[in-house]
Amino acid sequence: MTATPEFQGTHLFDRLCWAKENLDGVQSDYRVVYEDSVDECAKILVPDPNWMACALQGGILPPVWVYHELAKDEAQPDFKKHTRGYLLHETEPMPAMTEEEAIEYLIMKDCPQSVWQTWDEGNRPKMVICRKEQLPQTREWRNAWRISDDLTVAA
Amino acid sequence: MALGKIKADTLEHSTAGSLDTKFVVNGSAKAWDNNNTGSGGSLTSTDSLNISSRTDVATGRFALTVASAWANSWGAGSNEYNILAGTSTNTRVVAADADNTGTTTLNGVKMFIASTGSLNDGSRSMVIMFGDLA
Repeated sequence: MTATPEFQGTHLFDRLCWAKENLDGVQSDYRVVYEDSVDECAKILVPDPNWMACALQGGILPPVWVYHELAKDEAQPDFKKHTRGYLLHETEPMPAMTEEEAIEYLIMKDCPQSVWQTWDEGNRPKMVICRKEQLPQTREWRNAWRISDDLTVAA
Repeated sequence: MALGKIKADTLEHSTAGSLDTKFVVNGSAKAWDNNNTGSGGSLTSTDSLNISSRTDVATGRFALTVASAWANSWGAGSNEYNILAGTSTNTRVVAADADNTGTTTLNGVKMFIASTGSLNDGSRSMVIMFGDLA
């Protein structure tokens, strides 16, 4: 297995370029289906193979709280430009994750917080992790896709 | 990290003139994605750079989330800082999705048929993004 260089302090973009050169992409079968508006159809989040390789390798990606800090800055009404981008590059990188841990990280990074923080509150779940085989096999009626009401939620 | 480095502010050609290297640094694509509407009915990636996930939003609409965040966003203030360009099969046009407000990581993309303007899924699309990274 290729050893990850010491990346703390290296720009995240440079780390991603290193990973693309040195790691094979990992196609995950996991999909995250979520609904963030009652007026819209379900959305399906698909992990990127190169990103998944970084997550499994370890020592490349910053902790997810870094993205949340940047999101807080961005939510300020007078936000113009990030001034704490160094958090991405100078924070100690995450160790190697399992595929399942990587999916949890990705949910917290790329799904709206309003979805994953309250996914099981309300009458029905608004987020589901499934395998790609469990999705419709064609895109027919794509704009009407919803999370099934018959879903059994794991405890 | 042990990497070879050449530091130069200017590249000079013997006859064609010189180029400030800031144009190379600032003018390079910082993220790209080549995806298709694969089996299972949702997007799959063929190859990419600086993408953490792609979200299938609806017919003709998807979103690309970057790992190394932009310094600023389409959604910030009134300026559109980052540039997105793309192409798709079957004469689809690929453009930024104004209905899906961007952030410094989230980039909405839509595909539509050039002749009618209606949203439609191309079987394959390529998106390139330019902008300053945080």
